[in-house]
Amino acid sequence: MGTAIQKAIALIFSSDPELLNILSTTAQLCLTSSVLALLIGLPVGIALGAGRFPGRGVLVVLNRTLMGMPPVVCGLLFYMLFSGVGPFRHLKLLFTVKLMIIAQVVLITPIVIGNMETYVAEIAPSLRETALGLGFGWGKRFLLLVNECVYSIFSVYLLAFARAIAEVGAVSMVGGAIAWKTNVMTTAIMQYTNRGNFTLGIALGLILMLLSLAVNIAVSLMQRRLSR
Amino acid sequence: MKISAFSKSYGSRTVLHVPDLELPDGRITAVIGPNGSGKSTLAKILAGIECSDQKRSPLTALSVGYMPQKSYAFRMSVARNLALNGSDLERREKLLHGLQIDSLSRHSAKRLSGGETARMALARLLMRDYKLLILDEPTASMDVESTLAAERLLSDYCRDTGAGILLVTHSLQQARRIAQHVLFLHQGELREQGEASRLLSSPETEELRRFLEFYGI
Repeated sequence: MGTAIQKAIALIFSSDPELLNILSTTAQLCLTSSVLALLIGLPVGIALGAGRFPGRGVLVVLNRTLMGMPPVVCGLLFYMLFSGVGPFRHLKLLFTVKLMIIAQVVLITPIVIGNMETYVAEIAPSLRETALGLGFGWGKRFLLLVNECVYSIFSVYLLAFARAIAEVGAVSMVGGAIAWKTNVMTTAIMQYTNRGNFTLGIALGLILMLLSLAVNIAVSLMQRRLSR
Repeated sequence: MKISAFSKSYGSRTVLHVPDLELPDGRITAVIGPNGSGKSTLAKILAGIECSDQKRSPLTALSVGYMPQKSYAFRMSVARNLALNGSDLERREKLLHGLQIDSLSRHSAKRLSGGETARMALARLLMRDYKLLILDEPTASMDVESTLAAERLLSDYCRDTGAGILLVTHSLQQARRIAQHVLFLHQGELREQGEASRLLSSPETEELRRFLEFYGI
């Protein structure tokens, strides 16, 4: 075990081309899918949390159900839709990073929506009452609400990124874990461990943890800077 | 200032029924009554926060400012919270000083205590000239000194702007100190109204007499 970790650390500093390829594919997948999920989920989450419209309760329950969707089910769904017998086969997206991103966006967006909805629903009634009492119009009320949500937006992004970087079920099904093409850190760890290549598996595991730590530190620093 | 009759029901239960009434301009009207008598509902409907059963505002078009029981401190400094509602720097300084929170003007409004938040919220509301101010227990979380300072500012606001103030309060002493007019609500009905000095000393209804006795007046 100790030797494997030593070898893994040496591999990290050796600029191994395969390792670098896995890293860049992972970064592309996780950053793109988490940002897209945030862009879609934020306005929807705010609308669900602050809005009062018929059907709101149904949408909240539906979203909470989607939050618990198992990644392999999502992967299976996209596999069936884009495989050789699926209705979207002509798009030829199966086993590409693009489809992996789409599948992850579908998995992560409900989490963004759910967390924003919960936070906004807690503050919106009191904020609305105060802002209406001051005579503020719709636009000003919306901007104030967004301003109140800044911290939670960072937290929600962290959650989305963490889910994206740790996800393995859906991306392995729609990506196929093809070396030099769709292999990301989580699928590569499984692949190399199955082959008995623990060194690369441990190296990838270490990088995964370090990357997660780096993103957390960066977001925390941004939060602290904003609070000044 | 005329208020047309309205009611408020939840399902089949009517929680408030108010007949046509007139609020005096440039004066403070205290709304008193026991818990659950409909004071806050009255304030919310008049402020346009809640809808009455009639689905129209009981007040004819005029600018209304409203301070809820629990005011929200926006995530910015105290000074910027006040600036949201008006840019008059002199007025801002006067209000911050009057409510003894001038030393907190650069502090984050989120870090204020309950009493400080209430003072900041009142100062923020008074940054603008409204025709009618509706205040739902604005001094409930303030200490005696701050309460008296707030009452002074409210009386000044009335005098300087000619606005009417509808003050929901649990404190009969406060009603006596600053109100010229009183509305007494009981079980969602307006049971008595009139000059504060007369109504608080010689009530006409049994409910108000018992209410005043309970508070030792």
